[in-house]
Amino acid sequence: MPQPGRQVAIAGVGYSPVLRKSDYSVAQLAVLASLAALEDAGIGPGDVDGISQYGFPMEMVTAWEMAETIGIPSLQWYMDASTNSPAGITGVLDAAAAVASGSSEVCLAYRAVSRVQGHSGGRDRGAAVPGDMQFSAPYGNFAAPQWLAMYAARHMHEFGTREEDFGAIAVAQREFAALNERAIFRRPITMDDYLASRYISEPVRLLDCDLPVDGAGAVIVTTAERARAMKQPPALLDAWAFGTGPRPQWFQWPDMTNSAPIWAAKAMWSRSQFEAKDVDTAQLYDGFTIITMQWLEALGFCGRGEAGPFVSEGHTRLGGKLPTNTNGGMLNIGRVHGISHVIEAVEQLRGTCGPRQTPNAKVAVAANAGGPMAGCLIMYRD
Amino acid sequence: MPDPQANAPRPVPLPNRETQFFWDAAKRGELAILRCEDCRMFIHPPKHRCRGCLSENLAPQVVSGRGRVYTLTRTHYVYHPAFREQAPYVVALVELEEDPSVRLVSNILECAPEEAAIGMAVEVVFERVSDDITLPQFRPRLPRGEAA
Repeated sequence: MPQPGRQVAIAGVGYSPVLRKSDYSVAQLAVLASLAALEDAGIGPGDVDGISQYGFPMEMVTAWEMAETIGIPSLQWYMDASTNSPAGITGVLDAAAAVASGSSEVCLAYRAVSRVQGHSGGRDRGAAVPGDMQFSAPYGNFAAPQWLAMYAARHMHEFGTREEDFGAIAVAQREFAALNERAIFRRPITMDDYLASRYISEPVRLLDCDLPVDGAGAVIVTTAERARAMKQPPALLDAWAFGTGPRPQWFQWPDMTNSAPIWAAKAMWSRSQFEAKDVDTAQLYDGFTIITMQWLEALGFCGRGEAGPFVSEGHTRLGGKLPTNTNGGMLNIGRVHGISHVIEAVEQLRGTCGPRQTPNAKVAVAANAGGPMAGCLIMYRD
Repeated sequence: MPDPQANAPRPVPLPNRETQFFWDAAKRGELAILRCEDCRMFIHPPKHRCRGCLSENLAPQVVSGRGRVYTLTRTHYVYHPAFREQAPYVVALVELEEDPSVRLVSNILECAPEEAAIGMAVEVVFERVSDDITLPQFRPRLPRGEAA
């Protein structure tokens, strides 16, 4: 069954400055990205009737704050999502659902991150820990790199995945980053550089982790009909899905060789006119390289347990059969938390990516998050 | 700038109505896991209802404390000053013998970090961290008959 409702398209995309250190507030970043996306689409704040955004509580730029700041006269759809939803893609998926259902005509989606106001690796200290984390933090188990390391270790144990396979992703993405003037890390790296980078939590090394930044990305979601009257060639949404499984939490997940991407991918494909073999380029979340591997397998670009050989054989590189994270990924452009994967998929479909462009890209996938949370979408061009 | 919290103590659990039994049992030297009195499913972390049969008839059950390491990581980065001296330290997920779908987060005590491995047989041991809090931990389980 195809994705029900009106045909949805992405008509505009934009970034704020994305910097390792800045004086911008998270609200300024969100607004800069949103204004860039509106300009890209050739419309203004007065054309927007919906906002869907995702932010952690301490860095959230709410729909109200955005509407107040840029002067949106009225909203008939607004949603502030947080925490356990799949990060930057969340607002885009929610906007797509709103437009498909007729609840919004032009919906702005964004994700803005701030190293000062948001997560920066620091932890509450000496605190008594409530909730399910009371069974983790007392053991020194605090942070996502540790959690994804435990997923990666299980993948290695069951499938023989090697550290060099994770390294192949880091090396391939840096090759793309060298071709992307927006990337922060552009100097090529070798496998020796990868293997010399320090462990954060084994087997996760520094070069497996995305790069903390101040920055934001924004996307304009509207009907295909409206998008065709705007400034850019539309990226047409074919299907999308959220996903999680029967134990939606980090440590009780039954089979930790993969995670929620399995469920999101299955739901998305069930509504898509395409199959994995039709996809020309993939933008797969790379908060940590193991997550990219999980998505490669979950989406069926390779078999379960085969992501290691798949990346080491070079299939995700420039010129490979599935160029992946073609902007260099968040490992290199910075952690804008997944909205960048959607933006890059749109720019690949427009054919505007210059030296890193996938030739004749007609179908693209963007996917976000891992562990108990996942969301993905598939797009194409006319 | 010196870190004013450089000597912050190790984080401790903040028990609530649903988890108090777990920490009380640990203080007594027992590992207790919440179990459904109707369908016998183990529920961990503790919740107020059984996800298997939706019963609210749940009670703690003392378990053997034997298990296996499902996965682990050796953490090198110091996320918290209380773990600075230990790094790199092992964080493991231990599956319980009674029901491998129950996993406990644990360090692996009495074991060099590089010796800890997936599949390792382990047993519970109790680490007192304050007057109020004792942590269930795991250590390698020796073959029957060998002294620890």
